[in-house]
Amino acid sequence: MTDCLEIIDVYKDYSGLAVLSGVQFTVKRKERHAVIGPNGAGKTTLFNIISGKFRASSGTIRFKGQDISRKSAYALNRLGISRSFQITNVFQELSVFENIRSGVRSRYGLRYHFLRKPDSNARINERTAAIAENLGLKDVLHVPVSALSYGQQRALEIGIALSTDPDLILLDEPTAGMTREETVQAIETIDRVTAGLTLIIIEHDMDVVFSLADTISVLHYGKILISGAPDIIRSDQRVKDAYLGEDHL
Amino acid sequence: MIFQKKASHFVIAVLFLVGGLAPFALRQYQVAMLTEIIFFALYAVSYNLLLGYAGLLSFGHAMFFGTGAFTAAVALVCIPGISIWSDIFLAVLMAILVGLVVGSLLLRTKGAYFALLTLAFNSLFYVVATKWSSVTGGDDGLSITRPNISIGSITIQLAGITSFYYFTLVIIGMAIVFCWYFTHTAMGRTVLLIRENEERMNFLGYNTHISRLLLFVFTGAAAGLAGAFYSLHFQFVSISAISVDMTTTVLLMAFVGGTGTFWGPILGTFVYIIVQSYLSDLTDHWPLFMGLIFVFMVLVMPGGLSQIIQKIPGVFSGKSGDEPGDRVVTEETIL
Repeated sequence: MTDCLEIIDVYKDYSGLAVLSGVQFTVKRKERHAVIGPNGAGKTTLFNIISGKFRASSGTIRFKGQDISRKSAYALNRLGISRSFQITNVFQELSVFENIRSGVRSRYGLRYHFLRKPDSNARINERTAAIAENLGLKDVLHVPVSALSYGQQRALEIGIALSTDPDLILLDEPTAGMTREETVQAIETIDRVTAGLTLIIIEHDMDVVFSLADTISVLHYGKILISGAPDIIRSDQRVKDAYLGEDHL
Repeated sequence: MIFQKKASHFVIAVLFLVGGLAPFALRQYQVAMLTEIIFFALYAVSYNLLLGYAGLLSFGHAMFFGTGAFTAAVALVCIPGISIWSDIFLAVLMAILVGLVVGSLLLRTKGAYFALLTLAFNSLFYVVATKWSSVTGGDDGLSITRPNISIGSITIQLAGITSFYYFTLVIIGMAIVFCWYFTHTAMGRTVLLIRENEERMNFLGYNTHISRLLLFVFTGAAAGLAGAFYSLHFQFVSISAISVDMTTTVLLMAFVGGTGTFWGPILGTFVYIIVQSYLSDLTDHWPLFMGLIFVFMVLVMPGGLSQIIQKIPGVFSGKSGDEPGDRVVTEETIL
């Protein structure tokens, strides 16, 4: 059993508009898998379906062999799937610490307790601080998110996704809005903090994609054009025509 | 935050101390008024857990208050010799059941839908209380006699105003302290985080519908407890206890004090009851003036009295206070 995620013939349409039409690919355990494709290809929709925000119109998704197609987002998170958002989606008014701790204590089962206080749980607080430090947010631990720089907010976005100790992490354009240098640095960080996890990433910077990913899936008008190792993708004529253009040869 | 927490411990200690000594300095009618302030404060605090912490505007909080009030009264009438503990317990239990049933039906609603549906349910409860006169006394209401406390062979008379005041101070005081503690618990923080970003909480493994239901039931139980003391205090309950007016009362109390802090609604209750008592001595048209005060408060200081108090240190140190935000949300500012 080496497959982490199997996406089998997934369709999604919004009142007649087909966004995904028969998406199919497999992500192996501990793979770093990139999903690329032009704007509007359905990448984010695919993430929304895997993470349980929406249900697929038809098709099956298996996570570690278990059919998860009809599970809701919170149940999927507890199974070990976590995601980040393309547009920073955090708790703006709260501190970095509380942002990350929200996921950490969920992982430790401290969600709805009427008596126990997260403040007095040393393990949770240590784990929270460790995640923040790992992402370079140690110095702004008790600063409200609204006071952070954009880059720090993007790092926090990943920190929150990591906070529930997922097995599979979905990063939706983690470098959106960053300059070239920031992107390269962010990808280094991502590579480091997601080591040992199965990673699926949506990314536009092709150099970054080809250096980071083990496997690349090209999503084109709701279908997977091809899924394979970077070398195969680079030399595929259809991908060149559809997306990459000649300059990425 | 540590300072703030210590400040809260200090506030609690001072409130209990002042509360404990108050009857020595006050007249009987003032002690009775203070009793009223204490149980209405719990009512307002529980309401603010919904409004200020969870961002849920409910127009149905009186259904819990009224359920608690009527259950306590009806149980005293129907079960001869029932102890005050069982009576209060039954009142809270009924409020919890109401919370579970109504809450399950409201599970997926938020915002305007939630507000309107709670209003509809409150009206439903009001109509039931009015029509079911064989149990609730209908328009005439129910008169009861406050039982005494028996612990083994010791009996504490509760008939007197002062003794019931101390009973209220201890029991309701502890309930309010628990509500304050609740805001620091996992559940209390979860509620706040869901208000801030429900979608993200879903993706972090939280079932946000269940969270809201749990909060709804908890605040309902607290309001039911307050309602039980309302009956025991007045030794009478009428349908006004479950009316929409009783909901607007708690809304006013919370708003006057400020929904952005935990202690605001307690201050609001204090001011509300005293102003109301003063105005109703002067004129029969006191609701008009209360309404004007409310309009003034909402327009001029949406953060309530507690917002003004928070600004005072800034004024003394020569700094202007923070701009009034719609709501004070951070961990650091909610005590």
